[in-house]
This record gives sequence, C-alpha cells and structure tokens, in this order.
Amino acid sequence: MSSTGAVSRVWGGLVAFRGTSSRRADLWLAVAAFAMVGGLWQASTSFGWTSPQFLPGPVAVFDALVTMFRDQNFLWHIGVSFVRVWSAFLISLVMALPLGILMSTYRLAGALNEPLIDFIRYLPVPALVPLTIIWLGIGEETKIALLWMGTFFQLVLLIADDMKRVPQEYVEIGFTLGAKPFRILKDVALPAMLPSLVDNLRITLGWCWTYLIIAEIVASDSGIGFVIWTARRYVKTPEVMAGILTIGLLGLLCDQAIRMAHRRWFRYL
Amino acid sequence: MTGGSHLRFEAVTKRFDAPKGGIIDVLTPINLEIDRGAFVVFLGPSGCGKTTLMRMVGGLDTASSGRILLDGQPVAGPDRRRGMVPQSYSSFPWLTVAGNVAFGMRYRNDLTAAEKAERTAHYLNLVGLTDFADAFPKRISGGMRQRVAIARSLASGSEILLMDEPFGALDAQTREFLQEQLLEIQRREAKTVIFVTHDVEEAVFLADRIVVFSARPARVLEVVDVNAAIGTERTFEVKESDAFFRLRNHVLHLIRDQTRRLPPELTEAHS
Ligand SMILES: Nc1ncnc2c1ncn2[C@@H]1O[C@H](COP(=O)(O)OP(=O)(O)OP(=O)(O)O)[C@@H](O)[C@H]1O
Ligand SMILES: [Mg+2]
Repeated sequence: MSSTGAVSRVWGGLVAFRGTSSRRADLWLAVAAFAMVGGLWQASTSFGWTSPQFLPGPVAVFDALVTMFRDQNFLWHIGVSFVRVWSAFLISLVMALPLGILMSTYRLAGALNEPLIDFIRYLPVPALVPLTIIWLGIGEETKIALLWMGTFFQLVLLIADDMKRVPQEYVEIGFTLGAKPFRILKDVALPAMLPSLVDNLRITLGWCWTYLIIAEIVASDSGIGFVIWTARRYVKTPEVMAGILTIGLLGLLCDQAIRMAHRRWFRYL
Repeated sequence: MTGGSHLRFEAVTKRFDAPKGGIIDVLTPINLEIDRGAFVVFLGPSGCGKTTLMRMVGGLDTASSGRILLDGQPVAGPDRRRGMVPQSYSSFPWLTVAGNVAFGMRYRNDLTAAEKAERTAHYLNLVGLTDFADAFPKRISGGMRQRVAIARSLASGSEILLMDEPFGALDAQTREFLQEQLLEIQRREAKTVIFVTHDVEEAVFLADRIVVFSARPARVLEVVDVNAAIGTERTFEVKESDAFFRLRNHVLHLIRDQTRRLPPELTEAHS
C-alpha cells in the first residue's frame, strides 16, 4: 500500500540521525506532546491521584481563566505585561546593538567592556530587586529597569559574539571592493550576522518574560505576575495555574512567530 | 605612468608567532618586480607563503620587515585598486548570484545603475552563470560559487587582480574556458594579475612570468620568463608544442625538489 510507504518514509526521516521532517509531521508531533501531557493531567484529577487543592484539573483551570478574563480584567493585565516586556526588550536592543558591534569591531571597546559586563551579567536579577526599589521606588521605572538589567547585559555579549562570527573573508572582500568601515558594517557584517541575531533575540525575549514575572511579583499592582501572586494569597490554585499557562502560551506564540519570520526572511540559508 | 615597476617587493619578510611560542618564518627576504599589465603566477609547495604574500599585496596583511610599493607608494591597507579572489569560497550567502556580482561595483560612483546592470549581466554570462542569476549561493555548487567570486572581482574593475587558486575547484572544461577568458580580459584591459596555482600546466599557459618559491620559509627559487620560452601567443595549440612541454617539465622539476623537502604531514595535507 502506498500510504504505508509514505508513513514509513516520514518515520524514517524522523528517527534517522540528523534526519529531515516535514512541517506537517512536526506540527502533529507537537500537538501529540501537548495532548499527552494534557491527558495525563486530566487523568490525575479524574482518578483522584492528586488533590484538586494542589493540582486542579484542566476544566477547573479553564473555568478560572474564563472568570479572570470576564471579572478581573485579565486581558488588561496581559496587555500591561506585554508592554513592559517589549519596551524593556526594545530599549535593551537599541542600546546593546551598537555597543555589542563596537565591542567586537574595536578591541578598545571590547577589552574595556567585556569583563565588566560579564561581571554584571552574573548578578541574579532577584538580588537586584531591593536596590532597584530603593533607587527607583515601585513605579514602572523599577520594572523596566529590572527587565533591562536582565536582558541588556546578556544581549550585548550575544550580539558581540554574532558580530565576531562574521567571517573575516567577507570583511576583507568588502575592503578590497572599496568599502569604508561603516559601509562594511552596514552592507556586509549586519546582513551576515542577522540570522543568528534574530535567533538570539528570540531567546533573550524568553528570558525577559522570566524577569517580568519576578518584577511583577515583588513590586507591582498590575500584570500577569501580580495576578498570579494575588491568586496565591487566597489559595486560588486554578487561577495561579491559569496565569502560568497564559505566560507559557504567550511565550509559545511569540517564539513561533519569530521562528516563522526567521524562515521567511532567511530563505537563503 | 610609463616605465618603472608597477609593483615592487623590497626585502619583504613575514614571521608569525607560533601557537606554542616561538616564531614561524614564512617569507625570507623577497625581492621582486612586477610590471604593469603582467600576468604573474606564484608557484610553490603548499604552506610556503603564497597566500600570505598575496594578502600583503592586497593590504590585508603587513610585512614583518621590508615593504611593497605600488607605483612607488608603499601599500597601506586594502582598497579598490587591488581586487581579491580568495582561496576559500567568499560569495555572500544573503545575496543572489547576480547580487554578488553586482556587489563588486557597489562602491563605484563612476558607473550608472544601467552600466552596473549591464556589466553584471556580461560577467555572469562570461562565467556561465546567467541561468543561475537569481539563485542563492547555498543552492549552487562549489565550483559555481568560485565562479561568482571571479565574476565579482572582474566586474569590480580593479587594476590588479589577486587570484588565489581561483580555478582549483573547477572541472577541466570550465577551467580551460575560464583560463582563456581571463587571458583575454587581462590583455584587453591591461590588468596586472597575480595568480596562485598548484597546476604547473595552468601556470605555464597563463603566465608571462612564473615565480617559483621554495618550501617554507619561502624564497624566490627562480623567476621563469615564460614569454621568452614559448612566446606571447597562447592558444590551445601552444599547449602541444615542444617548447611548452619543455618549460612545463622544467618547472615541474623545480617544484618536485621542493615538495620532497617538506615534512611528511605537509605533503599529505597538500595532496
Ligand atoms: N595567521 C597566521 N598565524 C600563524 N601562522 C600562519 C598564519 N597564516 C599563515 N600561517 C602560516 O604561514 C604559512 C604559509 O601560509 P600560506 O597560507 O601563505 O601558504 P600557501 O603557500 O598559500 O599554501 P597553500 O598552497 O596550501 O595555500 C603556513 O605554514 C601557515 O601555517
Ligand atoms: Mg594559499
């Protein structure tokens, strides 16, 4: 039968060492993984393996989510979180891009900044919360500052690395064709590093969400983190879980959107 | 600018720091003169320093001592007068084949957009890639990518072409065709070419003069005057002449003696 042949061909690609797959097969596998975890979750509540106090079932969580959207302005909280993440992220990016590029282009900038940034990068963001609150109070600035500290220093080093990996041959070709350093950056280095840059931005954006929740838990009266933390105070476990799932879902959507853009923009890879 | 040598190497040396301390002498004092419009082939055992010397002409590397003069001026950094076809593939993956060739003229303000488009088409056709104009480098073969780099440097119109084993990855037919084309362009446009190859036959066929280097540290073993031996006419019949054959054997022997002197790991890496 031909359909058996097709199945075994797809299967062969999936299990071969560095084998290939189709978008369709990937999608189905992803759905299957979600369904399996969801099924286990449902089973654990239906069969009473866990108490609903600790692990409410999918239905209860979904109900909680609906209530949150209807009665607690959850959409607005999501919006607030979204704006915080993206503004901190964009500020970090705008600052990190020139600095990172400069650091791998001119040794002076690299040698001055690398050790310093490496040091700051290892300071855990939660440890900086008290200081940030002392300095900036508990307004919007504090949250943005915390997110910025979590992303900017990581991003600078990632961008510097991307730039460093641009093959020297490309740069030399640019020079022998008459380009000046700035044109080399713009016409050669930037396009050469762009695919890995976009990948790194995608990963950093994920970290940014992590810091957001920390910031919103300790110093906020709005945002997804705040909602989760408030629900915890009243032991509303379904709402806590609904909040967590929302973050995961938003992350998944962002990530997939960027991946899709990546495939579209960098078809030549 | 008449008379005087176009390119002049004055006691050029190069030493690198060895990875485990100490130093590697790559070039012992090199003295050489190259006339405007000459086709000069560098020939020598693998690892002797041909690429290094060529990069110094391009301004991409500096001499440890001595200097290279271009029309009397010491070379200081790369510019558009000396175009490179590097040894490794160097087409930009984010540009199409045509985009890569056009990039060669990106910084030329003396050409109009129409002229650039015309030149792009011309050189694409010359290297036989017209049908692949819109393909990305990833989708074409290694030899085709090398042809893109050749077309790009020809299109850029630099006076001196530095070509590091440009035809190494090509099949025999394409290679012969491009050899002929390169000679024609070089003579018509009076370009100065420095060309590295390991193929002695190619060297004799293309060169006005062949500079044969010793094993590392490289010194000039002999400068072979090809024109004196086989004349300036270069057609494929020439390749069958006795003079061509004798010269080829002479150069081959020079090279063989040097290759035997290499440490075993180097000879292996070369083959
Ligand atoms: N940046 C570097 N640092 C240290 N040693 C180097 C460096 N670049 C080249 N060398 C050494 O210089 C020598 C000459 O290298 P080069 O690339 O010029 O050889 P080549 O004649 O072009 O060889 P091939 O014919 O194999 O291309 C080699 O032995 C190499 O190990
Ligand atoms: Mg070489």
